[in-house]
Amino acid sequence: MWSARVSTLKVIAQIAFRNLFVSRLKTFIVGGIILFGAFLVVVGTSFLDSIVDGMSRSITGSVAGHIQVYSSKSKDPLEVIGGFSFDGGDIAQMDDFSKLREVLLKVPHVKTVVPMGISGALVTSGNTIDVALSNLRDLARKKVAGTATPADLGAYESEKGHVRQILTVLQTDIKNIAQLHDEKSISTDDAAAVVKAASPAFWDAFDRDPLGQLEFLENRIAPQATDADMLFLRYVGTDPGVFSRSFDRMKIVDGATIPRGKRGFLFAKYTYEDQIKLKTARRLDKIKAARDDRGERIAKDAELQRFVKENSNQVREILLQLDAPKTADFRVKLQKLLGSQVPEVGKLLTEFFKMDDGNFDARYQFFYAELAPALQLYRIRIGDNLTIKAFTRSGYVQSVNLPVYGTFTFTGLEKSPQAGSLNLMDMVSFRELYGFLTPEREKEIRELKSQMNAKEISRENAEAELFGQKSPEAAASPPPPPTPSRTVVADATPGLRVPESDGVGARFVREDLSHRVYDPSQLESGVILNAAVILDDPGRVRETITAIEAAGRQAGLPLKAISWKEASGLIGQFVSMMKAVLYVAVLIIFVVALVIINNALVMATLERVREIGTLRAIGAQRRFILSMLVIEAVVIGIIFGALGAGLGAVVVAIVGKVGIPAPSDLASFFFSGPRLFPVLASGNMVVALVIVLLVSALSGFYPAWLAMRVTPIQAMQSDE
Amino acid sequence: MKIIVSVKNATKTYALGKVSVPALRGVSLEVEEGEFLSIAGPSGSGKTTLLNLIGCVDTPTSGSVEVAGKDTLRLSERDLTRLRLDTIGFIFQSFNLVSVLSVYQNVELPLLLQVGIPTAERRRRVMALLERVGLADHAKHRPSELSGGQRQRVAIARALVARPQLVLADEPTANLDSVTGQNILDLMRELNRTEKTTFIFSTHDARVMSNATSVIRLADGKFVDRLSAAEAVRAGVTRPASSVGIS
Repeated sequence: MWSARVSTLKVIAQIAFRNLFVSRLKTFIVGGIILFGAFLVVVGTSFLDSIVDGMSRSITGSVAGHIQVYSSKSKDPLEVIGGFSFDGGDIAQMDDFSKLREVLLKVPHVKTVVPMGISGALVTSGNTIDVALSNLRDLARKKVAGTATPADLGAYESEKGHVRQILTVLQTDIKNIAQLHDEKSISTDDAAAVVKAASPAFWDAFDRDPLGQLEFLENRIAPQATDADMLFLRYVGTDPGVFSRSFDRMKIVDGATIPRGKRGFLFAKYTYEDQIKLKTARRLDKIKAARDDRGERIAKDAELQRFVKENSNQVREILLQLDAPKTADFRVKLQKLLGSQVPEVGKLLTEFFKMDDGNFDARYQFFYAELAPALQLYRIRIGDNLTIKAFTRSGYVQSVNLPVYGTFTFTGLEKSPQAGSLNLMDMVSFRELYGFLTPEREKEIRELKSQMNAKEISRENAEAELFGQKSPEAAASPPPPPTPSRTVVADATPGLRVPESDGVGARFVREDLSHRVYDPSQLESGVILNAAVILDDPGRVRETITAIEAAGRQAGLPLKAISWKEASGLIGQFVSMMKAVLYVAVLIIFVVALVIINNALVMATLERVREIGTLRAIGAQRRFILSMLVIEAVVIGIIFGALGAGLGAVVVAIVGKVGIPAPSDLASFFFSGPRLFPVLASGNMVVALVIVLLVSALSGFYPAWLAMRVTPIQAMQSDE
Repeated sequence: MKIIVSVKNATKTYALGKVSVPALRGVSLEVEEGEFLSIAGPSGSGKTTLLNLIGCVDTPTSGSVEVAGKDTLRLSERDLTRLRLDTIGFIFQSFNLVSVLSVYQNVELPLLLQVGIPTAERRRRVMALLERVGLADHAKHRPSELSGGQRQRVAIARALVARPQLVLADEPTANLDSVTGQNILDLMRELNRTEKTTFIFSTHDARVMSNATSVIRLADGKFVDRLSAAEAVRAGVTRPASSVGIS
């Protein structure tokens, strides 16, 4: 019986195969559609899977971890990376990281827990003239005190020259404005101040009373020479040591990581380049990248033309940095390069930056080799102090001074603005900027209060306490001790100390907080906003999320755990969206394929009514006819589906070797690097074949059913 | 002699839209084993309908048709198909070979459908029949490479390969020239004699009828008479007595 079945199947297959061969056109049309569909499924899913894989490795390996844990009392969802909000959104604090970590580490598959907090703040990049004047002041103090070394004296003269050069630039500015506009648009006081400061008499007096003259410069000149930017920096507060150990993608580019127990700031390399670097140099870098990496040309690209124009129009930023010797140096070099006799360096620079595709490479090299060494390329240098001002959660402004230890990047995400906008600071400074009470600050406030004889009052009773009218509740409570006291309502800014002898109006002395160390154990305990959880098995995200939330409930912690995809906000959603788009596209293609294939097979069946009727007449059962046609459809499906999937695999393999270049910085984020190397997963092939078989079987079913209903009588009817 | 086909008062009415068209209005006849029977009549007389009922590809509206002792009205679709496969061979007016199969494969088809016949046995029987119809050296040809007469001989081989008790042929010579048609009839007659296979064929060609052992005449879906071949030719069946066509 079994061999009988096999031989029947053989006949069916034989007839089916021969039919396919005879009606080649139909076979190739139907097969072509199936081939294309299978090809698309394999290539599309491989491409997407590779993106998802790459992004998953980039995001989990850089900052998100596999799972992010935060308080379920938060009003906003947590977005670690790729979010639109400046700060991290309204995330409720979790008071004790050590307890959280203890709970999390007990959950199976949890390998590491990294404390975090994400927020943002405004930073001023610093005026060139402010920096110059501040340096000059330090040097002048030493000179006055008689502690200056010969090197200090040299620096003092050089810095003086620089300030005088800035004054020359300002004078030129005023002259230009006077020519272009009405004379009245310049404040006469300002103009007079510049004339006075630029006069030789002013500088003759300078050496005699440097501090007095500096005050004039600071008050009257500095406001006229502003070139600072307000930067918005997004940062993650964390335990720097644990962070760099846990996230394998993190790599220090310049400088070093923040030492244990020290306060400090690390710039994301992308932010450092994009925001801190001299704008002219940054634009040159961008033009070079566009030309070299993407093959664009200045002549053809409007954006590059804009960069060139901005560079040649905005030379003031460079001029302000030049002292007399540097100006002379630039004049000689530029005159030689440009073959020009123009004496003004400003005009020479304007000419120099008018670059085109022909001279760009040479001038780019010239800029970095000849001009850049004399310039301060970055407004904030590694080792500088950065003053960060942030609004705390309660709304007052908090500021912290942090030394910049270096820059870092996440491997594969070097060019991504999304990943590159997240800077890093120690958790202790973060807590302060966020407005948490650190033990350090609590102690400080206690001291302040005792110094000032302050007493604590509640917000509700503040009015009554301050103005003597008692609220009903206050009346019921025992009266406060009648000590003479000053009342402190707001929290104080740390680092502001009131000198003991002075009263309220005394000058506050700002302590250099940046050099204060903290107890490293503060990183392991204390307040955090969220924590990244890294698993030993990346495939167990879903079950671990459930386990973490359960563990949280058991421990009485209101925990919410989300996958890296959710924590990466829009980016995570983008992946799901792309997947949905691909699936919809595949669905549409296969629905269309289904209709076309079905139509072709119905036509073919109608042409074969006579043959089918004959087969039925000579004794073929309906089942036989049905199997015959379904097998025909499935055979087309298998052969062309396999061909399409194979072709797709070949294409993926080739592209996987060569890589797809990222067309933009945004794309390089999704590609987790400058190129995407799609990898073929066997799952993609299986999915493609299953879909193709399903579609061909489905589309073959209706014609087969039609064929099954053909009666033997139809075979008897003559052609006429 | 054994009765192989027994038709009793069979009627067949086709519904054409809302109109019922009677194709057979009560026909009775018996066919004995080994007969070479011709069914004659003008077009629309019900020849094909009667052959369809006997061939188990259709069942009567009323009355009964028994083939090889089985009442076709009582059989399921499946059993009817099985009955056709095992008992009846078909020869069609337009040959109806499976165009994608070779001559050999066309003839082999019923044996394959019967399932369980060993390859060697199938081969022996197919080649023996192709030998008989004179096409052994055309075994590997496609039907499209053959002439009309050759194709009909392949069809005859296919009809006989499963050793049916009964072979039905609807106008087997209609698409052939007279010489070829005669050759086909000679072949059928010879097989009828040597294999003892019963043949029933419809025709309106007097020369074809002259080969028959007897001729059944139909008109307007009714049995007219049953004549010997000689009587039929004398009665001039070629000129239809009456013709109320329905086609």
